[in-house]
Amino acid sequence: MEESRVEKNFPVRTRVKSKSRSQKQSPESKYWSSFKTVEIPNLISVPSLSFSPTPPHSFAAAHSASLTLFSSLTLSPTATLSSFSDSVSSASFRNDSLLLAASDLSGLVQLFDVKSRTPLRRLRSHSRPVRFVHFPRLDKLHLISAGDDALINLWDVALESPIARFLGHKDYVRCGDSSPVNSDVFLTGSYDHVVKLWDVRVRDSSKSQLQVHHGSPVEDVLFLPSGGMLATAGGNSVKLWDLIGGGKLLFSMESHNKTVTSICVGRIGKDFVEESNQFRIMSVGLDGYLKVFDYGALKVTHSMRFPAPLLSVGYSPDCSTRVIGTSNGLIYASKRKIKAEENQKESESSLFWRVAPLERTEKKVLRPSHFRYFHRGQGEKPSKGDYLVMKPKKVKLAAHDKLLNKFRHGEALVCVLGNKNPGHVLAVMEELVARKKLLKCVSNLDEENLELLLGFLHKYCTLPRYSSLLMGLTKKVIEMRADDIRASQALRNHVRNLKRSVEEEIRIQQSLQEIQGIISPLLKIAGK
Amino acid sequence: MISGGQNLVSSPPAFSIDAKRLLVCTGSTVSVFSTATASLVSSLQGHSAPVTAVVVVPTSSLFSYCWTASIDGTIRHWDYSVPECVKIIDLGFPIFSMVVPSLMSAPEESDAKSPNVFAYVSVSVQGRNPPDGRPKPRYGLIRKCNLTHFRRVSNLILKETERPESLTISPTGEFFGIRDKRKLHIWKVPKMDSDSAVCKKITLHHTKTLTVLAFHPAGKIVAAGDVTGRILIWRGFGARKFLKTSGLVNGGVSMDEENKFDVRGDDAETCTVWHWHSSGVRHLSFSSDGAYLYSGGKEGVLVLWQLDTGNKKFLPRIGSPLLYFVDSPDPSFSSISCADNQIHILKMPSMEIIRSISGIKPPLSSQDICEGLSSRAAFDCTSGMVAVQTENYGVQFYSLFANRGVYEVQVCERNHQSVDEITVVVSFVELSVDGSMMGTVEVKLPEDGIGGLVCLKFWNLDDNKRFSVSTLIYEPHRDAHISAVAFHPTRPMAVSSSYGGDFKIWVCKEDITQKGQMVLNSGWMCHAVGSYKNKAMTAAAFSADGSVLAVAADTVITLWDPNNNVLVAVIGETPMPITSLVFAGKSDYLLSVCHGSKPQLSVWSMSKLAASWSYRLQIEAVSSAIDLSYFAVLALLPELNECTFKGDGIILLFNVTDPVPVACWSVTKAKGGGLAFLKGDSSEEVVDGKPLQTQLAYINGDREYSIFHPYGKEGFELSTNRQDDLVCEETGQFGYSAIYGELPKFDLKRSTTSSISSAASERPWEMIFSGSSHKLPSLTKLCSEFLESLLEKRPATVE
Repeated sequence: MEESRVEKNFPVRTRVKSKSRSQKQSPESKYWSSFKTVEIPNLISVPSLSFSPTPPHSFAAAHSASLTLFSSLTLSPTATLSSFSDSVSSASFRNDSLLLAASDLSGLVQLFDVKSRTPLRRLRSHSRPVRFVHFPRLDKLHLISAGDDALINLWDVALESPIARFLGHKDYVRCGDSSPVNSDVFLTGSYDHVVKLWDVRVRDSSKSQLQVHHGSPVEDVLFLPSGGMLATAGGNSVKLWDLIGGGKLLFSMESHNKTVTSICVGRIGKDFVEESNQFRIMSVGLDGYLKVFDYGALKVTHSMRFPAPLLSVGYSPDCSTRVIGTSNGLIYASKRKIKAEENQKESESSLFWRVAPLERTEKKVLRPSHFRYFHRGQGEKPSKGDYLVMKPKKVKLAAHDKLLNKFRHGEALVCVLGNKNPGHVLAVMEELVARKKLLKCVSNLDEENLELLLGFLHKYCTLPRYSSLLMGLTKKVIEMRADDIRASQALRNHVRNLKRSVEEEIRIQQSLQEIQGIISPLLKIAGK
Repeated sequence: MISGGQNLVSSPPAFSIDAKRLLVCTGSTVSVFSTATASLVSSLQGHSAPVTAVVVVPTSSLFSYCWTASIDGTIRHWDYSVPECVKIIDLGFPIFSMVVPSLMSAPEESDAKSPNVFAYVSVSVQGRNPPDGRPKPRYGLIRKCNLTHFRRVSNLILKETERPESLTISPTGEFFGIRDKRKLHIWKVPKMDSDSAVCKKITLHHTKTLTVLAFHPAGKIVAAGDVTGRILIWRGFGARKFLKTSGLVNGGVSMDEENKFDVRGDDAETCTVWHWHSSGVRHLSFSSDGAYLYSGGKEGVLVLWQLDTGNKKFLPRIGSPLLYFVDSPDPSFSSISCADNQIHILKMPSMEIIRSISGIKPPLSSQDICEGLSSRAAFDCTSGMVAVQTENYGVQFYSLFANRGVYEVQVCERNHQSVDEITVVVSFVELSVDGSMMGTVEVKLPEDGIGGLVCLKFWNLDDNKRFSVSTLIYEPHRDAHISAVAFHPTRPMAVSSSYGGDFKIWVCKEDITQKGQMVLNSGWMCHAVGSYKNKAMTAAAFSADGSVLAVAADTVITLWDPNNNVLVAVIGETPMPITSLVFAGKSDYLLSVCHGSKPQLSVWSMSKLAASWSYRLQIEAVSSAIDLSYFAVLALLPELNECTFKGDGIILLFNVTDPVPVACWSVTKAKGGGLAFLKGDSSEEVVDGKPLQTQLAYINGDREYSIFHPYGKEGFELSTNRQDDLVCEETGQFGYSAIYGELPKFDLKRSTTSSISSAASERPWEMIFSGSSHKLPSLTKLCSEFLESLLEKRPATVE
């Protein structure tokens, strides 16, 4: 049964734009792009960034001969340590964030009290620039340092003296990491393409427990949070190794175009994916790309480009701050926008012990003295069983639609031309064509409105979306209104502009045809 | 055989007395529709030519009688509730209009002898032979005939007109009239009607051609509409002539009198003119209380005029020109008939359309203007539906078995205006084999060379089994027009070919719905583009298994692998450009049709890549059975042969291997017709080893159709086992009771005593006053009781 149907009133419609077929942002890349980046300028190349392991997770950036501490909340510098004689190469917080170790290219390693920023110890043993200094994650008493002399020192911090020295690398040692599960095991990576795993309990100084061969000079090395896997960066690749399986290569991620300079492990929000799949490796390279690599799924989940070669990357343990150091002295610090409700939750929980504000107990009775009295009850929501009398929805029509409904075609055209929305103008023009009234409208336009129309045509007639209709119309308009145009200076100016934009378009078309001429033989060959 | 698709709006419908039925003239039958469900209840079959008038006898609701008149020259009296023909009167002239005045007037107290019922008919008769050998002109006559005791049509000729005109009667039955060019002729029905009684006549004049007239239900007011859209209202017409107490006047005298009132001297007190309609007024009707006037015309707007003030109210955008407006006896209903074969039932005070009786929409009125752009009907073979383009830029889905419109989709979202020039047209409707996908092409014709647009739309069935737009493609082949759209039989793939020299294969990406995520962007995408020597691609078809795509490039047929877009073979050639291609079912034969000066139907063998056989026939439509190697063609007969066959077309059924037709049927109005094999019910018997599942549907140029078994014997009648929905009739109340509810039955015998609970008639009179005082009835009641009980009762025998 055909239901009763009265023809509806159709307003003119603009042409539908095609939607892009490329896949929409995945939820993870949405997460990563929710970081809002600010630039921290006026530094000189930043080779090292390290976060303090305890809240509020301030971070230290090494640049030139000084080390600056930044607050991760405000991303503003809080203190600068400048008691260095040469460029600072590396810095590391102790796991309680009370001490900070920093090395410089003079071979000196210094320890600072984070709060007072006074140098407590000066560790001098390296004869060449020190490139790497690191507090073991589970150990408060020792410090690892290594440098261009291919030596690795394990320091007793209190005594100010190395208690062990590991030999074995044949080139500069540039990086290292300590195990997150064992206080005695650490890694170093060197320009001799080799990453070695050391155990401090084995005092045979030249024998490493395990070594993996990366294949190119190792720029950075990292224990993954499980402690059983490690990631190495060097050349254009980031490689994953299985330690428990005896140093087996698991995967090689080669999506950077230039040398990968730094990697770090980051966690994405807790509520986002299941526990086992929260960690991502972030790698930065000289090609200016930041890649986020999901090592569970073995694929790059997000990629981001910065306009400078990137040297270092850091990610705060509370997942809120990401900092990237570049070679031209900028730090791209990003903070994640935290939704209002999350903030709210936090503030509520902090309010828990405070005294709640006194609730107003007596209800205010509306009196006829107030305007609201006369509107009382109008905002009442219907309860479940109520029968609703619906008001028929009023159809909102644009001004040009109303005029078209009244067959006032010329006024509709003028009205829509005044609105400056080219899509609507085109829709009205198409409707007028369908009513065979467009040319009549054009011929009846007065001079002022003709100027409006010529202005519109000048602006849009060469746009590919509209040109099929507008080019023909432009021609007709100029033919039909030649006398009027000749008589008025303003109209002549418009026509001059129009001519210019048409000439421009012709030039573009010619150059495009030239390109097509070059490409088409190539495509023919490729097709065979 | 099932036939259907009749025109519902050839003449005005009529409501039954209780307004539960609507009697509609549908060709040579009268269909009775229920107004509550808008579905067919029964049909009155008997006339052999189109029925032109139906008049319901308004006696009482117990009997349901009506009179019908038809072109076949008979007037029939029916009991439409049964339905059965009661009486047949043969006038011998084609009847174009009939009014029965005595039925309209209020039934007077029944005399012993019921008066004769007279009808006034407008008939068409053959004129006398003119002296030169020209064909006899036909002209119209208004005559009278006695329906109760019919002997012959009375000799009295009220008026002679050039063409038979339609008669209009006043609601009281006092007057009737016709419009004749720029004049209005009104007759007064004599009080005591007899065969020879002469009606008095007046004439009202206007300067434009009149189109329609209407009488006021009470006062002496007549309204008429003209071709320019003016409505004229004459008040107090016939005051001078009809009231004159003259006796019988013969025709000659009345002619003299007519001349007395010349140009503006019409026999009417005043004449008012209203002008709102922009083109001719098509219908006029007064409301039953006489306070309002309804008018309608080509604009498709029903206008309600307040008679005293001339204020207007509108029901706009009905969608097509209005033809008739019929009031029902129930004041809350009325019906309007539209030119697009729809009858809408209106809820009256508010003028809302509550129900529609929808017939198949007629073909575009100006088909010849856009020849080559108008589409054929597309058949959905599985569900027995046909999709036809409509004038208001939509597609109507019409169920062939149920003979009614199912629904309609709007292809081009524009307001329809009834203008002569067509600028936007739905030029293609194509359904996939399983009926789940639809492709439409709409063409906007350019104005003076600018602004033309071709749009291809793909539609998918949504959850409620209706089509909704899936993809919209602007200018699929740049500005070239599309020549064909064809769907792959099994997969979501389609091909569109254009006169611009290329064809495109479109594929639909399946929806990938991931849990908790948005539906990924799905739609039709261009999969491949192909062309052959830059020739215009004029037709396209997929083979039954979908492995071969045949595209006609002008006069040759190119065969392609649709998946890889590789040209496989080229066959041909035909003398003229090919206009359609069809694969003959599962067999390896391909049919091609070309038109023009050398029309041809060719059958190509795919295995030999060569022509198998061909006919020189003007083919209008081709259809092949899906699972058999039979195919049917609809051929237009050359003019010379028309006399040997009955119609102007012929349907031929072929087996592809054999050029001798298996069967043939001659048909009428074949131009613009269509053919399709429909899959019937599976529960059908097999006759002579040939399956009867498939039925052949033929739809003619006027979109009337018939369905028959092509393999059955000649004259094999198909049992119409259509499963109609049960007519669930609501026993609705109308009129007074609809508003205020049923009145309690007024019962005279209800005695006044019945309200007294403690009626004490049986009791001895001493007991009346016993009991506590607050229980006693009022004193006035008790008093009469008391006095009554004192009276001595008469013996019962007296009563």
